[in-house]
Order: sequence, then structure tokens, then C-alpha cells
Amino acid sequence: MSKFFDTLVAGYRIEGTEFGISRESIRAFCDASLDYNPLHIDDAYMTGSFGKTNFGGIIMHGMTNFGLITRMLTDWAYSENAVHRRLETRWLVPVKPDDTIRPHGSVKFKHVTAKSRWVVIDVEVRNQRDEQVVTGEALVEFPPDAAP
Amino acid sequence: MQQDFEADFWKDAERRKIWDDIVPGEPRKTIPYTLTLEAIQRYCRAVGDLHPLYFDEEYARRSRYDGLIAPPSIHILLMFACIPADDWMRSPGTVNAGQSWSYNCPARPGDTITLQARALDKFIKRERLFVIHDNVFFNQQGDVICSGRGWTIRPM
Repeated sequence: MSKFFDTLVAGYRIEGTEFGISRESIRAFCDASLDYNPLHIDDAYMTGSFGKTNFGGIIMHGMTNFGLITRMLTDWAYSENAVHRRLETRWLVPVKPDDTIRPHGSVKFKHVTAKSRWVVIDVEVRNQRDEQVVTGEALVEFPPDAAP
Repeated sequence: MQQDFEADFWKDAERRKIWDDIVPGEPRKTIPYTLTLEAIQRYCRAVGDLHPLYFDEEYARRSRYDGLIAPPSIHILLMFACIPADDWMRSPGTVNAGQSWSYNCPARPGDTITLQARALDKFIKRERLFVIHDNVFFNQQGDVICSGRGWTIRPM
């Protein structure tokens, strides 16, 4: 049984990789996700207003944040024979071309159930101005029978 | 890009349900999708994720996954791949407000993926029109790959 779970304490930090956003990276995400919403493509459309919001130009897919947080969590989980089980996110600030974003995680608490062991992680994404653009929570399972 | 996929989201805009038409609880029409290794890797590259479980067949075969898999977040692609052109998820101006997803087993290259989806709820808050989406993806064996809920703000 992996001993790593036993050593984990609240506040343990998990760091993601910095990711630079460009018009090209947004276009690549369109092709990868098949999400061609004009929010991510059409500057002319994005000069209009959405209710009370005006973005002033194309924005990154919110789900790019989701994918980057997932990458951080799976890199960590795979290396410890753990399994990424859940991710919940809320978008706070839109991300635009020339922004640089980076996901972070911090262990909130551990919990042992009848059949397995779990770690709840606070996650967030911050931009180059250190603004929180996404906040959320993840759940990673450390199965007791996983090979060390 | 997928060959037969209509990338112009304006084209079928008139045929799509708007917030007023959406009936919570009513199943959405979905289409089965064959997930290729190429599509998985295109998605991975778009988020800079080059983990060998998605790229290195030999490494993946020796791992406890016994072969190449897709990352959990592949549902981002599956969501658009499994819905027809007149589905309201493609309505221009749809804004994603939040998501929560639970993962059961990984999707794999060659899987035929099906989606069961519906609006679960709709409401108005601060002059915005919200819908809560309820989605479950299955593989060809009927195993649940993942299930998730999304909050979107509908275009006015």
C-alpha cells in the first residue's frame, strides 16, 4: 500500500505548469474540442455586449482552464498510483490572448471511507497579474490495493 | 479538425432551442462518436499534456491501465462530438459558468462513445438566463466513463 497518502497533510501544495494563451492556442483548442463558439473566434462579434458584460475581443475557452487543472491533477495522481475522481470549477475572470495562466492546488483534507482513501484538494488558476481566474475543488482517490 | 463537423456555429442557429424552449428533464438527441487516438492526442497537445499514458504505447501497456487511454477531461471534446448541429450547446454566445465532473473509467482510443444528456433545471438570476446541464458518457460496453453537470448562461 502506498505510504504517500499517510504523509499527506492539509496545505500540501501541488503546482501546475505555466501556459501561455495566444490566438493560435485558442484556435488549437477550438479544433481539439470542436467548440467553435464565436466567443473564441470572432473579434467583431465580441465587441458587442452580453447582458452587462463586454469582453472587448475573443476570450479563451473556460474549459482550457479545466483541462490545465486536470493535467496538474493527473500528473500528480499517476505518479502516486492514485486516481483523479472529480473536478468542480467556477470561472471568475475571462482569459484573453497574451495572458499567461497557471493552475495550483492545495490539499484541503483527507477522508477514509469503508472501501477507499480520498484527498480533497482546493484548486485555482491564476493569471500573470496574480488574479484568480478559476476556483474549484478536486477529489483524488488513493485505492488501498494500489501497487506501491 | 473532424471531417464532417460544421465549424460555423451560426449556420444552424435558427434551428436551435432557445432558453424559452428548453424543457428540463427532456432527453437531448445525441450521436455515437468513435474516439480516435488522433483526436485524443490533438486534445492533449492543445492543453500541453504530453503524458506517456496518452502518447507512448509501450509505456501505457506496462502501466496499470494496460494500454493507451484518454485524459479524464476528454469529455470537453466528447460534449461537442456527441451532439448534432442543431443542439443548443452550440448556440453562439453560450457562456460557460461552471462545471463539475466525476470520473469512473478512462476512455480509450477506438471506443464508441455515447452520451445521455438533458437540461436538468433552468432559472433566471441577475437578468441572466441559466440552464443546468446533466451529462453521462458511456463506452461501448455500457460502462460509465464520466458524468458531469454544467452551468451555462444562455444567449439573449
